[in-house]
Amino acid sequence: MAEVSPTTNRFAQFKLVLLGESAVGKSSIVHRFVKNTFDDLRESTIGAAFLTQTITFPETNTTIKFEIWDTAGQERYKSLAPMYYRNANAALCVYDITSRSSFNKAQDWIKELKRQAPEGIVIALVGNKSDLAEDRQVEADEVEEYIQQQTSEEDGNSRIITSECSAKSGEGVLEIFNSIGRALPVEEVINASSRGRSAGGARQQGGIDLARARRQQAAAANSSCC
Amino acid sequence: MPPFSRVERRESMAERRPSMSYTPPVIPHLEGLEKPQQNHIDLDQADVLILGTGLIESMLAAALSWQGVQVLHIDNKSYYGDATSTLTIDQLKKWCIDVNQGKLPNFQDAQIYIPGGKSTNKFKSKDYGIDLTPKIMFCKSDLLSLLIKSRVYKYLEFQSLSNFHVFENDDFNQKITNSTSKEDIFTDKSLSLITKRNLMKFLKFILTDNKDSDKKRLIFENSKTNIIDFLTNNFNLESPQINELVYSIGLCIKPTTKTPEAVAKIKRFLVSFDVYGNFPVMVSKYGGPGEISQGFCRSAAVAGTTYKLNTNLIDYDPNSKIASFNDGSKVKINEKIIISPTQLPKFLQSSYNQLVDNSLPTYNITRLITVVRRDCKEWMSNQESSAIVVFPPLSLPTQNNQSVQVIIQNGGTGVCPNGQSIWFSHTSEPDLNRAKADLESAFEKMEASLLRESSSNLENGLDEQDFRLNPNRLSSTPILVNSFKLGEQLQNFVPKEKLEIVCKVGYVQKTLINPDLTNVFQATESNNIILKSIPDSNNNIIFTNMLSSELSYDGIITETKLIYSKITGSDEDFFDVDFEDEEEFDNNNGDSSAIDDSSSTGTNGGASAITQSKSTTSIGGIVGGGVVAGDENVIEDSSEDDMAIDDDDEDHDVNDNHEPFGTDVDNMEL
Repeated sequence: MAEVSPTTNRFAQFKLVLLGESAVGKSSIVHRFVKNTFDDLRESTIGAAFLTQTITFPETNTTIKFEIWDTAGQERYKSLAPMYYRNANAALCVYDITSRSSFNKAQDWIKELKRQAPEGIVIALVGNKSDLAEDRQVEADEVEEYIQQQTSEEDGNSRIITSECSAKSGEGVLEIFNSIGRALPVEEVINASSRGRSAGGARQQGGIDLARARRQQAAAANSSCC
Repeated sequence: MPPFSRVERRESMAERRPSMSYTPPVIPHLEGLEKPQQNHIDLDQADVLILGTGLIESMLAAALSWQGVQVLHIDNKSYYGDATSTLTIDQLKKWCIDVNQGKLPNFQDAQIYIPGGKSTNKFKSKDYGIDLTPKIMFCKSDLLSLLIKSRVYKYLEFQSLSNFHVFENDDFNQKITNSTSKEDIFTDKSLSLITKRNLMKFLKFILTDNKDSDKKRLIFENSKTNIIDFLTNNFNLESPQINELVYSIGLCIKPTTKTPEAVAKIKRFLVSFDVYGNFPVMVSKYGGPGEISQGFCRSAAVAGTTYKLNTNLIDYDPNSKIASFNDGSKVKINEKIIISPTQLPKFLQSSYNQLVDNSLPTYNITRLITVVRRDCKEWMSNQESSAIVVFPPLSLPTQNNQSVQVIIQNGGTGVCPNGQSIWFSHTSEPDLNRAKADLESAFEKMEASLLRESSSNLENGLDEQDFRLNPNRLSSTPILVNSFKLGEQLQNFVPKEKLEIVCKVGYVQKTLINPDLTNVFQATESNNIILKSIPDSNNNIIFTNMLSSELSYDGIITETKLIYSKITGSDEDFFDVDFEDEEEFDNNNGDSSAIDDSSSTGTNGGASAITQSKSTTSIGGIVGGGVVAGDENVIEDSSEDDMAIDDDDEDHDVNDNHEPFGTDVDNMEL
């Protein structure tokens, strides 16, 4: 990454949620992005509240951090909680290019997102398993047609990013997160936070960090008296 | 799964799932099924089936699944949270209808009032998160420790609450705002020297270690004395201070509260003060128990629990252990079935009734929830979005026998839009007509006070002494200390306008938990349904309880552990989890030095950053796991988590200190 002076770098954090049918490779894409590995699949969802990864845009001197929420299987019977969508800034809707039904499901998830997610959420519709092109069931022009249709319904307001990738080979994965990063309201969040106001960045200000205060409490316990 | 026993320690998470050799289960494609919600449950068997995603059931699911128990967790509603859910206004409308049609056992008399038409009362249902059982969390409490230990806090956001108002002599008094220490709570007002001395004497007594022999003896001698007499006779305290101590600080509900219980409750408040800042309690953003249960469900899902909403258990054969569901699926349940009382399947109705009718008294909680178009900032501390108002016994024109307790939350807590607030009031008054009258009366008092405050001339009513500069803040803006002074003339006030109401909801909830929580902290087979055996179930079915009327989360973890112990034989390993990937997941920041600047702004402030978050200039002030990362801070964070998770001593320490009041009572009576 580019050498930038810490004092001039600008930073913003965003919540990104994963959606899509089971077994399309949602976790694999994230693992490729976060750890650049493929084969250890679900293992590290264990215990992790969410995964995080930063990307830097040298040209704007900006670093953004994704807080990535996996479905943890709750998507399987359509049992995702409102908490999952809350304050989400971006959603990665994944389908498997070798499975037509997974593409249909991805469209259902986009519908669900429009119902549940905050307005202005950045949506990326991603076809995984591009390494299995010989078994392809979903063609690029179908995706294009669907997007056209969505865009006209939405008065062109919300653009859906489309892309294909292979979590297995890594091809196209970073590019997806880069496009999402560029579509996010980074300037707004940075400006708002520099004015001390919260505006859409992953979480809002004004809360209490339970774990952090606990340590201070432990330290204070030695010095306080009643 | 082998049966559990105390002597055989089950393998830890790490042992059972070594990081490199764990192979994920193959999740088959769901080809050809157009609507995923109509899917069959794709499991042959599970160890434990839980019905209902309420707070206790959700904690239980997470605790079990982190110990490797295969849990199937279903709910017959379309939403999470069951009887402890956080609902939108549209959901609440439907909920009221369901209650009145008898579809939601243990709820009754639901009414919802939405004034005006679509043009005069415009609102977006989705903007509201209305808790069916709103609660507050003490800063030293078992729930708080568990949220950290389980890491569920990372899904949540917490905000401070420091304003406790007590209504007496037809007037509101704001007692605790802007206190900077425990001592301040008492001295920061115009009291006579002698009253101050008496208060300090009592404060010292309260904060004395419970093992102290003098304290033990005094409490023991007064174990049957009510707290009012105790404070009058032993500490020479007078009515205003007693009211404040007992009903506001202690959140007791009746004058007959016994000394050990009340003392423990007052202590609970005082030891919680100054833990995270100058406030004793917190509320979770976007909703209370409804939000926390979602967090625990997510944690359970991460650990492997299967979730399916909109699903009923329609049959269970205790011999073959086969459970049948309304979606047509059948799953073998190897161990227990846990059933929330609002999810009771028809075929178990009579067994349940039999258990309750014969031996367990039922308690009523009556609630009135009002959404108003006012932010009620007058009642809240600067930078806060919540407050508590307490109407002690006999303070209302209805001559209320029990306290009416009210949680006020405005748009800043995410439960309603900005400029509005929700008043959650409740009482444990057993007579339902009286209960409703008490709640309406309390509402009227609050409404009158609010209208009077905003309509009369603020300048005329206040003098210089009502303002005080807070030396802790850099800004020199005077902070309004006594915003309720104008309440002095409350009796004479005739409002010129009416308070605009968005929505008003009333209902009655039943519970088998005594308001004093004795049958939680001293649960036996004869007083708590969790410990009862269900006839003809081969001991495989456990019924849970509706939440109690208690305003805080006290007792909830104790109940969850009771159920956990009944399933696994012991609660020793309740959330005894080694989160193996901690470092991995926090240390993955590629270019963290580049963002040092922002992270240091966020973390340097320490405790002061908590209370002065508005002056913090980066998103570093964000809550929980949303850590703004620089490598150093990330490492710090993970090490403190380790402390929270691994250091048993520290946990015990905290547990000893916070003393859920029931266990305290237990100690006292030894």
